[in-house]
Amino acid sequence: MVKTAAKTDSKTKSKKTTARDTVASAAEVPKPGYHWMNRSNQWDTRVKPGKHGLRLGDLNVGIYGEIPEQWQDQTRNPRGAIPRKGVPPLGYSIRDKADVWADSAADLYEEAIQRKWAPATDVPWGTVKPLSEPLERAICQVLTELCQYANCDVETISQWQHQMSYGYHEVKQYLATASFDAARMHEAFRKRALCNGGGLGLEGPGEVNRMILESRGGWSEAVTYLMLMRGTFTMTLLRYLEKFAYNDAEQSIYANALQAKARQMTYALEHLQYSIAHDEERKAIMATLLFIGDRIWEREMADHVLREALCIVFAGGLEKAPDQGYAIYQKMQRDFMRDYVGTCEWLGIKRDPAMLPEAMADYLEAS
Amino acid sequence: MEPVLDMQLDWMDQQGSWGAAAEPSKQGLTLADIQVGAYGDVPEESDNMTGRPRGAGARPESYRIGGYSVRSKHEIWLENASFLYEEALQRQWSSATDVPWDSIEPLPDDIEQAECQLATFLTEVEFVAGDVPARWISQTTPDYFEPRNVLLAQVMDEARHMDVFRKRALANGGGLMGATGGTAGVVGSIDLARDFTEMSSRLHISGEGAVLTIFRMGELMAYNEAEKAMYRLCAQDEARHVAFGVMHMRYMSETAPERREEIDCYLDEAERQILAGSQNPAGAQAESSESLAILLGGGKDQYDEGVNKLIAIRRRQLQEYQKRVRSAGFGERFDNGRSPIKEMLAASAA
Repeated sequence: MVKTAAKTDSKTKSKKTTARDTVASAAEVPKPGYHWMNRSNQWDTRVKPGKHGLRLGDLNVGIYGEIPEQWQDQTRNPRGAIPRKGVPPLGYSIRDKADVWADSAADLYEEAIQRKWAPATDVPWGTVKPLSEPLERAICQVLTELCQYANCDVETISQWQHQMSYGYHEVKQYLATASFDAARMHEAFRKRALCNGGGLGLEGPGEVNRMILESRGGWSEAVTYLMLMRGTFTMTLLRYLEKFAYNDAEQSIYANALQAKARQMTYALEHLQYSIAHDEERKAIMATLLFIGDRIWEREMADHVLREALCIVFAGGLEKAPDQGYAIYQKMQRDFMRDYVGTCEWLGIKRDPAMLPEAMADYLEAS
Repeated sequence: MEPVLDMQLDWMDQQGSWGAAAEPSKQGLTLADIQVGAYGDVPEESDNMTGRPRGAGARPESYRIGGYSVRSKHEIWLENASFLYEEALQRQWSSATDVPWDSIEPLPDDIEQAECQLATFLTEVEFVAGDVPARWISQTTPDYFEPRNVLLAQVMDEARHMDVFRKRALANGGGLMGATGGTAGVVGSIDLARDFTEMSSRLHISGEGAVLTIFRMGELMAYNEAEKAMYRLCAQDEARHVAFGVMHMRYMSETAPERREEIDCYLDEAERQILAGSQNPAGAQAESSESLAILLGGGKDQYDEGVNKLIAIRRRQLQEYQKRVRSAGFGERFDNGRSPIKEMLAASAA
């Protein structure tokens, strides 16, 4: 038998009756009104799985795939559902498509899920063998700074994620995988540093991390610094580390990290391109941001700690680090500058070498 | 002639503690395995404002990047964070390929509508559970990266839940229905918590606890293998999130007893909301409770039978909640009359 809720006069409710209501609520179910039935903006939707299963992007059919230029709704109304009136807003600050969107977000989300890996069991830790102390120290130093890069990814993404409105849920979902990827990288780098008789190194200077985390001008600004600038460098660095890995465990870590970073770069470039295409002034803003960022970048790259550690890693030890290792280090920096400036120009942001800091301009010229 | 680098190598003397040789256990090289030497020392208070990995050498000139508000261990710590994180990694699943979508067949209109309304509601609920932990992650010092990693895994889990319920709503001739607004940011809601433990008591113990019970009863309301898989896989994730809340509250209770009264107040609030609250699918909100009753009963014409099962679910929610709170170290509230849960259980049995 269905028990129905007793009617109460809200004006005369006392604390006591509220407590009684709480108790009664365990057993009461109001008589059904079914007022929610037959209310849908679009019924008869039948999305079928394709050969890769039922993917997030497959759901973008009919009104469910209409992604508005602006999403004024500040509640958690799922896109395509009928909003409820009178719901207090949650204060989402990112409500313009141009501030967040990338067409590939749904695919990147599904790809991230498919390419799951667990450092505990997917990295062949047994292949890590003792190395000379200077080499182990250098590897641990590089890994320590990589841990900080990953930490910066985690903190930057998670401080913006909850500010993004749900009209663009595909991006939020992709970013959930991106911050999780960063946690996994942080974990894998730390594990490698602590499993071979070494330890963590000296922390990095942190000036670029501060620049990224202090991107107050919006998510696109954070993407410019975190993904376009730092991301391009991290990808270059990981490619070199993979090439100069000392065992299968390191190779596996760097290869997996590269995959995650590649997804991040895909999102970043597509988002920045979309953002610029919808507001030409953003190109000029990005140019200004990069002009400032380049100078901070150059100062951080002048730090001798990471440079020396990489020279040792690339040379296989201390002995050949100053010449052979340094030559490879310089090649890596040239590759970075080529990719970084090339990407900026692909986005339509001209980089005049004369306006670049000297060291960056030199690497670019030699690339 | 190639340039030669003048190496200083002074940094080699400023690195973290040396000689760490963590070894894999039978579950691989887990986070628990790398708690070796100084690297396993988790500070009670963290003065790390530079984002330095725990145990790394500090640079006096390094920039302060962290405006971390969570810098006391008792505010976020739990003993089994490493385990929960590793389990989250091992149990990643894909809603695209691990749910047998082809098993869905057309359903009677009332059932499909109920399924879609519930899926719309659950999508909203999962939105909360993704947004809120993300906000706390960036406010937590990296010295407590283990719990932070569990929260990052949770954000990822919730993204997947959000997506699986949206997929279900759009997969069988239905669609999304009306949003309930049940997750609005009002005082006392998960969003507006000013303290991590306050948030966790609402999100993990009360909110997700209530949802976990429903997911565990998924077999009762599933009409095909896809729905069974969906609820089972979501339940697995939710159980980890709830465990986080319980273990954190236990740690807080043991290490910061001066905060027990405050935590009891959060629980008072949670209990006022646990059934009547709009974030509980089995609660008083018509959209979700009526849909559940239709699904549990087998149609609109068997609504009463569905309601009886719904009340059984509520009972189970209360029993499980009680167990969790006892396990977290706050069981006396059920014995000293502070909590209405016993009375609620009695009322629902009548």
